[in-house]
Amino acid sequence: MAPPIQSNADQFKESFREEAREILVELESALLELNENRTDPELVGRIFRGLHTIKGSGAMFGFENLAAFTHDLETAFDEVRNGRLQIGSELVDLTLSALDQIRAMLEREAEGPESAGAQTADCAARTEILAKVRRLAGFSNSVPETAKKAPASESAVTPAGPEREWLIHFAPGPDMMRCGANPLLLVRELHQLGGFSVRASMAAIPPLRDLDPERCYVSWEMVLSTAAGDDAIRDVFIFVEDSCELTVQPASGAPECGAAASRSVLDRTPQALAEARSPSGGRRTYDSPDTASSLRVPAVKLDKFVDLVGELVTVQARLSELSARRDDPEVAQVSEEVERLASALRESAMNVRMMPIRATFEKFRRLVHDLARDLGKDVELTIEGAETELDKTVIDQLSDPLMHLIRNSMDHGIEPPERRAAAHKRPTANIHLSARHSGTSVLVAVADDGGGIDAEAVRRRAIEKSMISADAPLTEAEIFALLFQPGFSTAKQVTDVSGRGVGMDVVRQRVESLRGAIEVASKPGQGTSVTLRLPLTMAIIDGLLVGVGDASFVLPLATSLECIELTRDDIARANGKHLANVRGELIPYISLRQHFNILTEPPAIEQIMLVETAEGRFGFVVDRVLGNCQTVIKSLGRFYRQVQVVSGATILGNGDVALILDPERLVHDAVRSERHFAKGHAFRTAGGHVLFTARQGTGSAGPSASARQLAN
Amino acid sequence: MSVTLSHGEDSSCVRLEGTIDIGDAADLKTALLAALGPRNTVEVALDGVTGLDVTAVQLLWAAQREAQRVNVALHFSGRVPEAVRAVLADAGLKEHLEFSANG
Repeated sequence: MAPPIQSNADQFKESFREEAREILVELESALLELNENRTDPELVGRIFRGLHTIKGSGAMFGFENLAAFTHDLETAFDEVRNGRLQIGSELVDLTLSALDQIRAMLEREAEGPESAGAQTADCAARTEILAKVRRLAGFSNSVPETAKKAPASESAVTPAGPEREWLIHFAPGPDMMRCGANPLLLVRELHQLGGFSVRASMAAIPPLRDLDPERCYVSWEMVLSTAAGDDAIRDVFIFVEDSCELTVQPASGAPECGAAASRSVLDRTPQALAEARSPSGGRRTYDSPDTASSLRVPAVKLDKFVDLVGELVTVQARLSELSARRDDPEVAQVSEEVERLASALRESAMNVRMMPIRATFEKFRRLVHDLARDLGKDVELTIEGAETELDKTVIDQLSDPLMHLIRNSMDHGIEPPERRAAAHKRPTANIHLSARHSGTSVLVAVADDGGGIDAEAVRRRAIEKSMISADAPLTEAEIFALLFQPGFSTAKQVTDVSGRGVGMDVVRQRVESLRGAIEVASKPGQGTSVTLRLPLTMAIIDGLLVGVGDASFVLPLATSLECIELTRDDIARANGKHLANVRGELIPYISLRQHFNILTEPPAIEQIMLVETAEGRFGFVVDRVLGNCQTVIKSLGRFYRQVQVVSGATILGNGDVALILDPERLVHDAVRSERHFAKGHAFRTAGGHVLFTARQGTGSAGPSASARQLAN
Repeated sequence: MSVTLSHGEDSSCVRLEGTIDIGDAADLKTALLAALGPRNTVEVALDGVTGLDVTAVQLLWAAQREAQRVNVALHFSGRVPEAVRAVLADAGLKEHLEFSANG
């Protein structure tokens, strides 16, 4: 029986680790908010409960050292909660350091036994933190042995004040034990809060033969005399509250004291609590339908699920192809039904992968806080659109680029306090993280109100580094794009934070690997905004299948607008210019045959597929438009990573491979090619627009305007 | 963390060692059911126990009740460590198990 126990224990520990990691992110965020608003009782309560959950769950799942370490922090925040300790920078910084230690303890536990040296160093760091916390909170520095061994047992949550009696009913839910919780420890922890009487009810235990050995049938009625409030009592159950029935209510009538009185109250308890559990009075019941409203699923299972849906979509495409070839109404009907279901399944699978970007954003509060302290700058982080949802794969890979952008803003963008004062700017600088949807993309932006980018300095630096020639006719947007080239840095000195010219290159690579794009907007003296345009999903898209010669291509359906014909006469009338007249509007187009050097002869009548891009409307000339298709995006492998205009490949129903085109990149590429072709001529942009627009005032980056060079 | 079942001529012995928790509960149930089969006496030896969780307590309690129903003498033997007794007492469970006088 040993292996399954080990396996269950490991599973529970991993669940705890995952939960604790999430709580740590929330704690960090709440702490930094508290640093800004030091009297907010709700934030103090959130921090206290977070620490209490880590402590309690940690002890329950065998992380005794972690639980013992968290214990004093929790006590300190209980003191804050009760108004006996003021929040100050020192306590916030100490608690942040302590959270780092807790995180390290969690990860080390996952990695296996740490070395003796690492243990000693960490232990010393933890002891120092605790000593400082105790000094701040005015505790004795001698830690009771009981607190070390059984952190839940010390009366950390017992505030001073008048005692009152509480009636408590606790009935573990059917799955509470399977989740690794131990009700006996919870009851014992309650015992530490004050005078306590308990009656365990065995009435629900079935005959031995029918008994589910992994379910808890016992329930408890308890009377607790304590100065602790309702919240402190409920906090004991905070990490099992979704899987148990819990009622806490004050004992009615005059206070009765002593064991006999408690016993007498206990005799009345079941009835009183039964009344309290009635629909109008109960806190919650585990049988209520909302208990299974969310489910924690390992990411690998989700990835497997999406992969399978992808395969199903591919097979469904084959079925549709077969059905189209056979003139059989019954097969056609089944095929359509499968297509409908596959489409719905695909949409559901994609939704499951969508996550709000909040957690990623929130963790940068700590980065900004720490960097501001290290750099001697006063910086606030504001967040907008944290509820915006993105594919999990995209979110997972977004942390690094955002971190580099924020570090860069903090180090180079935001001026030192004296320069801000001289420029009559607000002493507290601002970094604004935002996310919003824009069509099939999500725009994630890092904006600061710092000194802005000196385009001329960037240009000089690029010439010094031989990245461009001295007379290169670059637009402002192209100059800003140099910032993301490998090895480029305008920093006069390399600091711990940035200046090595590595970070921005990493940002570009990561964003490109996500099929995204970077837009920079900057205004000298007013600030800089870097916007990452990212796809909503990385796995499956709705596409429009087109053909040129023997080749097939897929265009994202979301950006496709309409299809018009292009005859030889139309071409002749345009005097060789790649312009189509669409209801009076001239729209530039790109011939995919020419762009991809496809050598077959074009048909007499070609098709122009109009698409919407950040540069405006463009057309792609193809031989034929074959129709809609659900497209499972397959990577082309690293050899083709540099081919920016193709975002992947897909397998068609007939087994052929089609390249999935990135219209944004394709247009960008074509415009650049055209420009090189037209070298020696002034590079004109319609209405003075550039690919990267300048930041106007404090607003965010505006969308890049149409670049109509193709028409010239 | 082990549950061992042995049979005498007219008796059975279920010996518990270490901490008996949810991971052992299925085995404990099987052992108790087997012990309560055709025998007249069942001994549950607790002297090697270092911990009992609520699933183990429930099974022992249900076994006591089942023994009464089928007229089998079931008794707990061995001294249960003080720490285990304290946990059970704190949770109001000790009074439901008829531990031996010295245990």
